Amino acid sequence: MDFRKIMVPVHGSPVDAEVLKLVCRMAKQSKAKVFVVYVVEVRRSLPLDARLEGDISRGEDALTQAEQTLEEEECEYESSLLQAREVGPALVEEAVERHVDAIVMGIGYKRRFGEYSLGEAVPYVLKNASCPVLVYRIPALEKPE
Amino acid sequence: MYVIIVGGGKVGYYLCRTLLAEGHEVLIVEKNEAKCERLEEELGSICLRGDGCETATLAEAGTGRADMLIAATNEDEDNLVSCQLAKYKFKVRRTIALINNPENETVFKKLGIDVTVSSTNLVLEHIEQEVPTHHLMHLLKLEESGLEIVEVRIPGHSSVAGRRVRDLNLPQGAVLALVIRKDQRPMIPAPDTVLEAEDQVLAVTSHELEDALRLTLTGQRVERHGN
Amino acid sequence: MKVVIMGCGRVGAQLAALLDSDGHEVTILDVDSTSFRRLPPTFSGVALLGDGTDQEALVKAGIEETSAFVAVTQGDNRNVMAAQIAKHIFNVPRVLCRIYDPLRRDLYEDLGLEAFSPTTIFAQLLRDKLVEAAS
Repeated sequence: MDFRKIMVPVHGSPVDAEVLKLVCRMAKQSKAKVFVVYVVEVRRSLPLDARLEGDISRGEDALTQAEQTLEEEECEYESSLLQAREVGPALVEEAVERHVDAIVMGIGYKRRFGEYSLGEAVPYVLKNASCPVLVYRIPALEKPE
Repeated sequence: MYVIIVGGGKVGYYLCRTLLAEGHEVLIVEKNEAKCERLEEELGSICLRGDGCETATLAEAGTGRADMLIAATNEDEDNLVSCQLAKYKFKVRRTIALINNPENETVFKKLGIDVTVSSTNLVLEHIEQEVPTHHLMHLLKLEESGLEIVEVRIPGHSSVAGRRVRDLNLPQGAVLALVIRKDQRPMIPAPDTVLEAEDQVLAVTSHELEDALRLTLTGQRVERHGN
Repeated sequence: MKVVIMGCGRVGAQLAALLDSDGHEVTILDVDSTSFRRLPPTFSGVALLGDGTDQEALVKAGIEETSAFVAVTQGDNRNVMAAQIAKHIFNVPRVLCRIYDPLRRDLYEDLGLEAFSPTTIFAQLLRDKLVEAAS
């Protein structure tokens, strides 16, 4: 498949670098641009445009890290920090607005209440995004907590 | 303005759409998952799934910074509790409750709810306007002062017809504000204004004096010419 | 003493039976007539079909002359509303109300209702039993 712009949501976790390296390989094949995003989630108790210094600087750090990886891989990229109520809908909307033609999401291996959990954002994007979506899950831990 | 709507039924949905279009920040709190999904699909991230009668849900909804909470579920008791929580726990300035049983209007007012909207009463008021035997119609409620503006049509048989305003035994506190007579310009009644049959009189009165005012103006129990 | 009870569930029916056998004048309200089967055959009070959040039903149940009103339906909000009507509209001297949700109970206690949360009471009881057994 030929992609021109691939969106990669990052979280500031070690998964980010792994996914970005993989995406760079895909991108080079089709001369695509990589678009990294970080979403700052804003609780309802605050207005949507509240300045959440801690969250914003964490997001900026994650994006800087991602940009470094992309530069090392010599990949063309752009990046964006979003502020929204929920991650899933924000990613789906941004993908449409920026004419993204694929989303690649990296996820950890998480358990919640003793059950394997995808969280909320991934299923939402899988269900609602209009473009192709790839999910990259890191290897399962030997002994899940 | 930040408005929280409890209940994502038809009323909640249309309210939300209208308020969003007017540029307000709106959040619907709805228990039902399928309803939430449908709302979000159409209107974006504007829905919180949860029970709007629970403190934790309302805290998550950011009720503390809300300018208004509208309780629009189908259950009067749920609407009452949502509004009371908002008012007393989260200090929301304005709470509005939808009510189904019109009798609850007084109860809700007494329990601190700022505004109640009774669909049953709204329909009844329209029926009153259609049925000529009702001589007194409610036009507007002035929430802050507890007063209301009513319209009274002076019936042909009324002994009030042909009498001066100063000679009427108006209940103290009720004020005649405007007289509208067929084919004439509306006039502000003076003490010497003589009322005629079929005059439309707009009056300001408290709810308690409404009956007394009705009796005086429709002349069914006027002291001097009493029956 | 004349008592009006709203909700003929297990607790409501039991309370009605107890008060009745103590010689009090009991009227019990429920929206579902089958729930009156919970009342013992000896019950000599009045069982009335009606909604305790409805003022007319309350008047029929004799709310204007009662010295106590107890709201024990399954719904916290129904109990809260009926109790407030009894207290603030009909000025019933003693009003008791069950509210399962502890947080809601706290709020209405602050607003002047005599409210009980079985959730809190039962959890505390269990804890006390456990601690008692351990020491």
